Amino acid sequence: MSFQSRTTCWGTCLALLAGTAFAADSDVAQLTKDPKNWAMQAGDLNNHRYSELKQITTKNAKNLSVAWTFSTGVLRGHEGGPLVIGDTMYLHSPFPNKVFAIALEDQSIRWKYEPKQDATVIPVMCCDTVNRGLAYANGKIFLQQADTTLVALDAKTGNELWKVKVGDPKIGETTTNTPHIFKDKVLTGISGGEFGVRGRITAHDINTGKVLWKAYSTGPDNELLVDPAKTMTWTDGKMAPIGPDSSLKTWQGDQWKLGGGTTWGWYSYDPALNVVYYGTGNPSTWNPRQRPGDNKWSMTIFARDLDTGMAKWVYQMTPHDEWDYDGVNEMILADIKVKGKPHKALVHFDRNGFAYTMDRVSGELLVAEKYDPVVNWATHVDMKSGRPQVVAKYSTDKNGPDVNTKGVCPSALGTKDQQPASYSPRTGLFYVPTNHVCMDYEPFQIEYTAGQPYVGSTLSMYAAPNSHGGMGNFIAWDAGTGKMVWSKPERFSVWSGALTTAGDVVFYGTLEGYLKAVDLNGKELWKFKTPSGIIGNVTTWEYKGKQYVGVLSGIGGWAGIGLAAGLTKGTEGLGAVGGYKDLAKYTELGGVLTVFALSDR
Amino acid sequence: MIKKAMLSMAAGSMLFFVPVFAPVLAQAQAADAAPYQVSEGNKVDAHTLSGWRTWRALACERCHGPAQEGMVGPSLVNSLKVLSKDQFKETVLKGRIDKGMPNFDGSKMVVENIDNLYAYLKGRSDGAIQPGRLQEIGK
Repeated sequence: MSFQSRTTCWGTCLALLAGTAFAADSDVAQLTKDPKNWAMQAGDLNNHRYSELKQITTKNAKNLSVAWTFSTGVLRGHEGGPLVIGDTMYLHSPFPNKVFAIALEDQSIRWKYEPKQDATVIPVMCCDTVNRGLAYANGKIFLQQADTTLVALDAKTGNELWKVKVGDPKIGETTTNTPHIFKDKVLTGISGGEFGVRGRITAHDINTGKVLWKAYSTGPDNELLVDPAKTMTWTDGKMAPIGPDSSLKTWQGDQWKLGGGTTWGWYSYDPALNVVYYGTGNPSTWNPRQRPGDNKWSMTIFARDLDTGMAKWVYQMTPHDEWDYDGVNEMILADIKVKGKPHKALVHFDRNGFAYTMDRVSGELLVAEKYDPVVNWATHVDMKSGRPQVVAKYSTDKNGPDVNTKGVCPSALGTKDQQPASYSPRTGLFYVPTNHVCMDYEPFQIEYTAGQPYVGSTLSMYAAPNSHGGMGNFIAWDAGTGKMVWSKPERFSVWSGALTTAGDVVFYGTLEGYLKAVDLNGKELWKFKTPSGIIGNVTTWEYKGKQYVGVLSGIGGWAGIGLAAGLTKGTEGLGAVGGYKDLAKYTELGGVLTVFALSDR
Repeated sequence: MIKKAMLSMAAGSMLFFVPVFAPVLAQAQAADAAPYQVSEGNKVDAHTLSGWRTWRALACERCHGPAQEGMVGPSLVNSLKVLSKDQFKETVLKGRIDKGMPNFDGSKMVVENIDNLYAYLKGRSDGAIQPGRLQEIGK
């Protein structure tokens, strides 16, 4: 290992011995406890995206300036962010998924790795080639390539250690998520909800890549890794077993085989419970008439035992989705007071516009409230059944195929997509990048062809009407009460992962390309326009006594483009296109990491 | 339906075209009959309607935009002014993999409707067919 500059750690420090793999644990959890590092994409196991560093404060944030920059040499959407361990940064790019090890001392490239991937994967990823970043543990770097290859590299040299394929692009399977290292395992997912992919999550041996368990989102109990008698779900105001064939009963015929429920989000892990938490995506197709039933367990929060993969509890947020409200957004683990009582909570800002607070031990539903007042597809979540109460007017199933259901809020982008929120233990609040976009949605009959898009709906998207005219907000949320604390309007969707720090500074990026620092009241302290729109996640680290903040810019993905589609009349629904065209006035494609620090004065 | 003059969309250069309530000929190829029939901008012949349905089913708007004016993929309003019909077919069926354009020769619907798809997109490119939902003439 090449950590010349390791100094004292917070808490206890493991000796970092090259090649030492503790059977029960990797070093990553320990590395995240030292705020000098940014050792996981989310900064820690809890998805907090919070740092104890406090050199940058609300008072001096105005003095932030560019310390250095690095171009990935790739255009298109740059999601995720850099990892920093000791004196080295590890950075990824979108397809072709280059990996760079960068010496913090002089920003020289220690090594570079570029996988050989078949270009045919690009159109399957259509329309963007994002990757949400690397993982690190025990002297290894883990990359989940677009073509579904999971690869482990030697962090010192960039040499390949092992490779394993987790899917098949020929049937529309691709991967965009970061690998997640929990204890002694690498967990990864699958993308392709628009290609009729059957979602699952796999756990791999950190040293060999060998599959240890595989858990599907849809299908028979043994493939779901559920116990009909022991896996619990919120039922009629209490937790009860899910019973046999819980998924199969909610699909017509074999539709579950093309059922979606993909797993491309940010997972979290509670070591005390040994439970991993993640969410599943939309059921396919997007034409709800073609899949009667609740379509379990798409749109679901899963809590699984890390060692066996067995599901402890599940909760389906959007039964029988009719709007593409994927449930993959991050599950944030926080010990907070909920309605006055302390809970080991899980907080989740769903695409469907509701923010959920669950008890992460039992799986009980505690809070479900709209985190954007424009959300209209459901009046509320019934707290006894746990089901959203759908407004008939906005039911694309009830209105049926070839009927344009208009004015649904949120749009398919969700009130929040994958752009991860941040939790500050100092305030007990959540800082959330959101979309403020509504849609018209017209489903139609679609046939399945392997490897071809399997969508069956046309959409048009536009800024939420009768509001501030912008397409986004950055908000502060109290998950204990289900109330918004403040909301800061933005011109475009906020599609960048947020960061909070012990200096009480909150960071996020905008689609025009600004990195912004705000205080705990949402007051703007500082902003800087990076080379391209930001859909990356803000991170912070310390090197040689200085706190740095870094973010990838590189516009792309769904952000700002939206899956805008068919209009009913030539004059309508150009909102998303209009929005995108508007965005083109501010930014162009790019692929640059910009690193900031306080200027020496 | 609102009867409107053509939208001046990003593609530009279609401002001088005003749809009339009868099948029209494409301007660009005055010598050839247009491969589509259109009335009121949104009523088309059955073949062209199948072309639109093919466009919709294969989710082409994910790259080319809801009004074909380009997003991640190029503007087809512009491309169809340049590409010959044969070049168009070649591109759609064989793809331009390195650029992210899939090969659609594996899609029965596209293979069967390639001429209809061309007709629809040509109509969009000529500014004769409006973006969005279409219906059959006389239905």
